[in-house]
Amino acid sequence: MSSLFDKIGAELRRGLVQIAALSLLRERLYGYQLVKVLAASGLETEEGTLYPLLRRLEKQGLLTSEWDTQGSRPRKYYRLSDDGIDALPRLEALWSEISEAVGVILQSDGLVALAEANSK
Amino acid sequence: MKSVDRSPQPEAVQKWLDAAATAMSGAASKRRDALLELESAILENIDERTADGVVTDELVNDVLQRMGDPEEVGGSMLPGSPLIPAHQTRTFVFHVMAVFAVHFFLAVGATLAGRSLGVPPLRIAPIADPKNVLELVAHALGVLFLDVGLVLATYAVLSRVGRIFRVPQSALRVTTTPRRCIEVAIFLALVFIVVNFLRDNLLAMYVPDGDGVRQVPLVGPGIADNLVWFNVWIGLSIARELGYAAWAERRHTLALDIIAGAAGLFCLLRIVATKNLVDLSGARESLGASADSVGGLLNLVFVLLALGAAALIAARTVQRAYRLALLRG
Repeated sequence: MSSLFDKIGAELRRGLVQIAALSLLRERLYGYQLVKVLAASGLETEEGTLYPLLRRLEKQGLLTSEWDTQGSRPRKYYRLSDDGIDALPRLEALWSEISEAVGVILQSDGLVALAEANSK
Repeated sequence: MKSVDRSPQPEAVQKWLDAAATAMSGAASKRRDALLELESAILENIDERTADGVVTDELVNDVLQRMGDPEEVGGSMLPGSPLIPAHQTRTFVFHVMAVFAVHFFLAVGATLAGRSLGVPPLRIAPIADPKNVLELVAHALGVLFLDVGLVLATYAVLSRVGRIFRVPQSALRVTTTPRRCIEVAIFLALVFIVVNFLRDNLLAMYVPDGDGVRQVPLVGPGIADNLVWFNVWIGLSIARELGYAAWAERRHTLALDIIAGAAGLFCLLRIVATKNLVDLSGARESLGASADSVGGLLNLVFVLLALGAAALIAARTVQRAYRLALLRG
């Protein structure tokens, strides 16, 4: 049961990391830094999941990246692209809707909520 | 990608990155970029968790474990589904060249011998007019195109199968234990003894003969004529198991596994082609008219069993070849 809980929890987090990462990347951050910020915010993320996600978001045009080779180790910094800056408010609004809807379902009897929705 | 100095890193990190690289698709520059990002993240993680500057194996392994399965991470970083994945291009060219060399060598051999070469079901025809340069070049090109097509088809099928079943490449690893290998080797040795020395006693009918009974062996020429190939197959399979017991999964043990599989496939196809696996002619006196139909039925059953075994061996061999290609790539 515990492993099932962990699995569902990981899946749930994975979906949320996308919007959380986009929101955090209004500032210029590199991958490992992002992992730590997410973990500090309570959204612990598997690194093996985050790096592919960043690549995907970059490919989708929501992020831009650049290498910084000045330090002791090369770091790839990510930041929201112009498209990402445009998309973020809409994603945040969508998240609010989803969060509110799930909140209603969790706080009330699901069937009551459905009946109310149907009666409208 | 800009060039950067790479600091020395633990061997385990390099192995992890190599494994991740095998699963990446796309241009070499993109793969280098992704690998550098992963390397940077891993080393940064290690640095941060190193309190006194001493990097222990436990720490490195823990960091790598947190990163996840290298092949899954690599495949997620740069996914793609080209016919020939970028990291396998060299392997593909190598395979085409190897197949072409063997094919053309056999064609020249067939031409010198003046007849087709090979063993059923494989036949290599001689070059019609080897003194004609155009004919020779045309034949070589024909062979080359055929081999490119064959290898390409093999890669495409492997790639498609991999995608359909979404087999993580880590699942292709040969995971076995020395004890298990020794058990299989002993079992194979017993099979060798039974088939070589006891087959006529185990697969036989006893028919009345005067006052006593007579033993009639039922093993047909399909087995007896292919005994040499069968023994080669079993011998290579025993060597394969001993190899895995001694060295586990390495390139040379995988290569031996593939050779043993090819020998098994060849032997089974020869046996199937021979057809006459069970011979009931010696028992015709006691079975009467039903001897031929019973014999036919038994032959059909054995042929189906041999074909099933050949399919399993082919699948295993292709899997091992794919694994070897990944390790080489």
